[in-house]
Amino acid sequence: MKYCVGIDLGSTTTKAVILGEEGRILGRGITNSRSNYKVACDVALSEALVDARFNLVLQGLDQSGLDETEAADALELLSLRFREQQYRSDLAAFTEAVRVLPEMKNAEAEFREAFDEVMSAVVGEASELFAPGASRRSDFFRDLLASRYHPMAEEVVRKGKVGFNRLVALFDKAILRVENLPPDPGRFAPYAKAALAAIPGSDPALVQAVTAAAGTEMEAVGSVGTGYGRATLPFPKEQIRSEILCHGLGAHAMYPRTRTVLDIGGQDTKAIQVDDEGIVTSFQMNDRCAAGCGRYLGYIADEMNLGVQELGPLACQSTRKVRINSTCTVFAGAELRERLSLGENREDILAGLHRAIVLRAMSLLARSGGVDSEFTFTGGVAKNPAAVEALHGLVKDNYGDMKINISPDSIYTGALGAALFARRGLLNQEKSAQEVVQ
Amino acid sequence: MSQDVPRTLKTAGVDVGSSSVKVALMVDTEGERAQLVSGQSERIGRRDPIQVAEGLYQDCLQEAGWTREDVSYVATTGEGDMLEWHTGHFYGMTTHARGGLYLDPEARAIVDIGALHTRAVVMDESAKVLGYRMTSQCASGSGQFLENICRYLGITIDEIGPLSLQSDDPERCSSVCAVLAETDVINMVSRGISAPNIIRGIHQSMSGRYLRLLASAKARGVVLVTGGLSRDVGIMRSLQESADEQKTPIQLRSHPQSVLAGALGAALWGAFRVRKLATQGVSLSLKTAV
Repeated sequence: MKYCVGIDLGSTTTKAVILGEEGRILGRGITNSRSNYKVACDVALSEALVDARFNLVLQGLDQSGLDETEAADALELLSLRFREQQYRSDLAAFTEAVRVLPEMKNAEAEFREAFDEVMSAVVGEASELFAPGASRRSDFFRDLLASRYHPMAEEVVRKGKVGFNRLVALFDKAILRVENLPPDPGRFAPYAKAALAAIPGSDPALVQAVTAAAGTEMEAVGSVGTGYGRATLPFPKEQIRSEILCHGLGAHAMYPRTRTVLDIGGQDTKAIQVDDEGIVTSFQMNDRCAAGCGRYLGYIADEMNLGVQELGPLACQSTRKVRINSTCTVFAGAELRERLSLGENREDILAGLHRAIVLRAMSLLARSGGVDSEFTFTGGVAKNPAAVEALHGLVKDNYGDMKINISPDSIYTGALGAALFARRGLLNQEKSAQEVVQ
Repeated sequence: MSQDVPRTLKTAGVDVGSSSVKVALMVDTEGERAQLVSGQSERIGRRDPIQVAEGLYQDCLQEAGWTREDVSYVATTGEGDMLEWHTGHFYGMTTHARGGLYLDPEARAIVDIGALHTRAVVMDESAKVLGYRMTSQCASGSGQFLENICRYLGITIDEIGPLSLQSDDPERCSSVCAVLAETDVINMVSRGISAPNIIRGIHQSMSGRYLRLLASAKARGVVLVTGGLSRDVGIMRSLQESADEQKTPIQLRSHPQSVLAGALGAALWGAFRVRKLATQGVSLSLKTAV
């Protein structure tokens, strides 16, 4: 199977989308960005390929005559067991990385035993973590392990004489090493096999579909990279496109009637106008100041000791409008503290902060040419209900009733655009090759 | 009719900043140099600044062996006018100029590096303010910014100065935004750049900002650094180096009590006002509400 890949190397996450020969999305992959950009790309791509193979399994199940819900359930279970296998193998790599650390080699037996105790507890509950219906904060290995390692370490520390900070230091050092290990390209088959083995009495149709998916050759025929770190991508220059172009084209592919795209990412905010082909006609961007970017909410979340995904739902509970006077993120943080100490309601202040970030984006939108037709909102902040609510209100106030599209896959917009550029480049090549022949 | 004012006055200065409260108790004797009897600074953290100020004022009174009634004037500055028990309030630039001159009589300008704002004040030998400049609605290069960086590097604010001096190859810090620079720092750490080199790079970028502020306020000669960052030997070194490189005719100094400059200045202005009002026949009754 031939595919084109688009990679969006963002400041917080790296995304990959792969397209089949007919331009259909075969798979999507995401990973947390890290200091080694090449590895981040490879991991995102390998995740997208895994996703593609899962989609092949689903196709196989459909063809075998299984009904839709049965097929989806079977796939869900398979994917959980698969993730568990992946997690276990990452855990083994992590343990190995810790063992070679000088801090560990030179440590007293007591400390080494404490670490072993933490890890055996973490490994022991791996199946539980991937049980059907179990909640996980994120599926990135770093977050998964941190969510288990730290509480386990606390517990072990309480029993013994080992310092918590030393155990955490091991984590901080070893996790970087594990994250920067290149992914194993051939790992679908063995993991899927192990996953199947872990599902007792699995359907022969499932076994057959997995075998077929694992045996499918995948061949990359085109690739384009984009995103915050695109300059450092291991791609030739002609295979790099700006984020603006990719977001425009990606949003157009998702919603063909889109004429305006607003992307609020971690490090920057973009307001883009596109024509009926998805080609950018004008844009405005803020990448100099955190006010108006996703990092603004991240900073506020840190100030309040909350997770960034908890802010939106809290702000939605607000009953009274609060106007935040500060622009700068740090000043807004100080204003937040001040208002809290004056006894103002946390939910109201949060709603005010969400409004403030969207207001900044509105000025970018206005400068890029405003909104006069269908509108698409992308980026991590598009997942935040309070920001979406504020945007709806402000767009309505300024431009009237407009259709606002928000896709659950909006995080992949840039990568999708990049993949479409890769495919377009490939088609152009073929066309000119044909012309030469003629 | 002029009222009698004792030759020796006891006054208090309370400087409420955005991250800490500073209190100075002073004895001001006519014709002599005023004496600092008790001076303390305390971080607000996530507490109510009014309560922190109240507690710190009590601590200082105790250290000095004074009662509230001994104090002829409680002068506030910064955001201290929110305190119910203050006698009068003075603007930050006048108190910092007065306090700066008290700490270093040769100083003709101060640069007050606070948690959120930085201001440059140029004054004459009698603490008259000749001009000033202040940073606007952006925390780039502020004390809070440096504190955030510390948090990411896992070091305390007191360690930052000595670490900065160990730098052998400062890493240039390009990002201007205080918040986006944090990402840069995280990237630097993962690229294996040492903490001293990261910190020094940040100190250098902050220094550039402060020097531009001083230049636009037309500062000359001895400049006293006040505010929380005056204790940071790293920022002092890099400020002087940058000034010398740019051939700016200023000499930067710090004082162990620099952080109290605003509170000191306020206490001094308080004594000045008591005497001035007395010549006009007004006596002050102190508000001693707790």
